Amino acid sequence: MSFLKKHLTRLLILASALSVSAFVGIDFLSMHVPDPIYPNPCQKLQLSDYFKPLAGTAGDTDVYIFEGDQAGATVLILGGTHANEPAGHIAAVSLMENIEVDAGRLIILPRANNSGFTHNDPQEGNPQRFMIKTRRGERWFRYGSRYTNSIDQWPDPDVYEHQPSGQHLSGSETRNLNRSYPGSPDGNLTEKIGYAIMQLLKQEHVDLAFDLHEASLEYPVINAVVAHQLAFDLAAEVVMTLQMEDILFNLEPSPVDFHGLSHREWGDALGIPVILMESANPLQGRYHGKVTPDIIVTGKDKYNLQAAKSGLIEVNYPADGIPLNLRVARHLSGLATTFDIWNSSHQDDQIIVKNIPSYSEMITNGLGVYLK
Amino acid sequence: MNAELLVLIAMMALFAIAVFIGKYPIGISLALASIAGALLSGFGVPFRHLVEGSISYLDPILIIVTAMIFMEIIKETGALGETSRLIVRYFHAYPFLFLTAITFFIMIPGMLTGLSTASVLTTGAVVAPALIAYGIPKVKTGSIIAMAALYGMIAPPINVPAMIIGGGVDMPFIGFELPLLFATVPLALFTTYFIARPHVSRGVRSEVLEKISALTQDIHRARLFLPVLVLVLLMSLSRLIPNDLTSLGLPLIFVISSLAAFRSGRDFNYWKVAQSAIKKAMPVMGILVGIGMFIQILSLSGVRGFLIVNIVQIPSYWIYVAIAVSLPLFGAISSYGASYVLGVPFLLALLGRNEIIVASAITLIASLGDMMPPTALAGIFSAQVVDEPNYFRILKVCIPYIVITAFYGVMMIIGANWFAKYLIV
Ligand SMILES: [Zn+2]
Repeated sequence: MSFLKKHLTRLLILASALSVSAFVGIDFLSMHVPDPIYPNPCQKLQLSDYFKPLAGTAGDTDVYIFEGDQAGATVLILGGTHANEPAGHIAAVSLMENIEVDAGRLIILPRANNSGFTHNDPQEGNPQRFMIKTRRGERWFRYGSRYTNSIDQWPDPDVYEHQPSGQHLSGSETRNLNRSYPGSPDGNLTEKIGYAIMQLLKQEHVDLAFDLHEASLEYPVINAVVAHQLAFDLAAEVVMTLQMEDILFNLEPSPVDFHGLSHREWGDALGIPVILMESANPLQGRYHGKVTPDIIVTGKDKYNLQAAKSGLIEVNYPADGIPLNLRVARHLSGLATTFDIWNSSHQDDQIIVKNIPSYSEMITNGLGVYLK
Repeated sequence: MNAELLVLIAMMALFAIAVFIGKYPIGISLALASIAGALLSGFGVPFRHLVEGSISYLDPILIIVTAMIFMEIIKETGALGETSRLIVRYFHAYPFLFLTAITFFIMIPGMLTGLSTASVLTTGAVVAPALIAYGIPKVKTGSIIAMAALYGMIAPPINVPAMIIGGGVDMPFIGFELPLLFATVPLALFTTYFIARPHVSRGVRSEVLEKISALTQDIHRARLFLPVLVLVLLMSLSRLIPNDLTSLGLPLIFVISSLAAFRSGRDFNYWKVAQSAIKKAMPVMGILVGIGMFIQILSLSGVRGFLIVNIVQIPSYWIYVAIAVSLPLFGAISSYGASYVLGVPFLLALLGRNEIIVASAITLIASLGDMMPPTALAGIFSAQVVDEPNYFRILKVCIPYIVITAFYGVMMIIGANWFAKYLIV
């Protein structure tokens, strides 16, 4: 009894700390439940099918293969390399739920870094989920982190030394999938995911590859198509074609000496033309105001607007914001146009994909119509 | 009034009331202010956000705890006292050399870890008795240690704020060595000399040696310094040959070095020393947890956006004033936080000037946050190291050097493209 009396305050504090931990822990764990995807008929594999040691780890992820009746080119599309860039993830999902492949093969990873979807970036105050209205009602998607979850890969080194280039980046970048390529079979989890994706590219004989991203409004490489030199002419034609439809992209060559990125290492190591596309995510930068899941979908925010008026951001930011359906439509039109131009110069090795939602359709009808 | 401004004022006011009237610890006060901010912006009490924000400081907290235990242990074994005795013995006749050696010695752990507290708590604590015995008053000794620790944190090879800024704009941490040396070494030596100058000229040399008590027991020096040697060796290994085997991480390195201290000098009770070390580190750990919550709520409530949009769009040359003032002030919450929240927008607002020079200068100015109350990590720990109960006396001595440092940083930014000709290889 005297023990209780003496330590009552301490015991109370300890008990409340434990209950807060339990409460919050359950909340954090809920992020491990994947948002459902309803793909059209296709073959479903795992990334670990290309690199066995990834099986059973948080880095394993679903691989969907859509194969046409006719032979043709094999194309890879990554969504969700960065789980806080929803347009990339949603573009991949909306493709999977609408398309039919006539010729060639389309391989889609909607959650390239699966671990990134299971947590949020500390100090950002981001929401865990956002909602999109579809015909069936509200559908939820996770809003994750740019990085692999620390619960899966910890601790970070003070400095991330990229292999094999020896390039130095800040320690947290060791959990950035798009700095990990070409990866390593005995590296950390992120390097293993990067390695597994390289194995997939190799084993499936991928002819053309895409990595779908978003960036903050103040980031100079935005609304951009970043192309490896092997894909540069193709990308230039895509940008010109889209320009005629008033869909504006900035064409950026992949920097030759910036290592670890998909548009650098996939091309260098495997000779594959690679294109990375960026749209503008109004929740990603530092200028946005109060955080709500709505900003992700409507793209509307007062401080972004104020920053835009002061010339602080790199894109045209209208008062109506930059909604998610516009950002997804940009990705899809970029993909569709690239397929068309590829096909005109690869008559024997085409990729023919039907029912990709068009830019104008998606702007008019909204995103929900194209999600099941 | 603007809703975000209102939330900001409320958070600051509640923080001030909690600290100055409620006499709560800073960490608790930050947490209370964070909860108030969340409530006012309609988020209720968002436990998830409070925990998520503070989790970002888990790694620094582990470093601080283990570094503190290591420090207390080598104090117990007698290694600290003996080191300062040796420095004084061999350098006391040459003030210039003595102060130079001591400045670099203080800077080293910060250079290796990117943390000013690492410098203060390790080499800073080692040289404190030597400086005091040399005739420099303890407040000024604390000031020398605090300022050298700031410059050490910014000096190469490791500058965490520069890496944080680089991560925000895709700039690899390459080519920073010369700009960072230029940003730190002249200021570090200047600061030490000017703070110490009035005292070294008096010639206290003869009685200096007697003031420092020699070891009572007869202990072999090689054995006494073994823990420090292990520390230096493991730290250098992880930098020189980074791989899975050598990348132990600072917390484990400190633990291994602490274990190397058993029977190396005077005996000590590990349990008791560890307890007292954790007790000493507790306020700082609490502050870090509170800061994490505070920043998370600033972002969540939109106050961060409000602050940045209004600070960064300041016209023309006023931006330099904004940099010199807002970075250290925000750094009072956390210099890493200031680099993350403000450093990146400032760098982007200054595009067209050499990015490496600008980023180096921004980190130099942001580091001053470690001297700013209420957190003042470098300042408060320096006060502890020299047994000065009032940290503000240390801050007062440092103010001219803080102003000079901010000015120096702004000059680097203004002349970035000119400096780039000489400093970018
Ligand atoms: Zn991205």
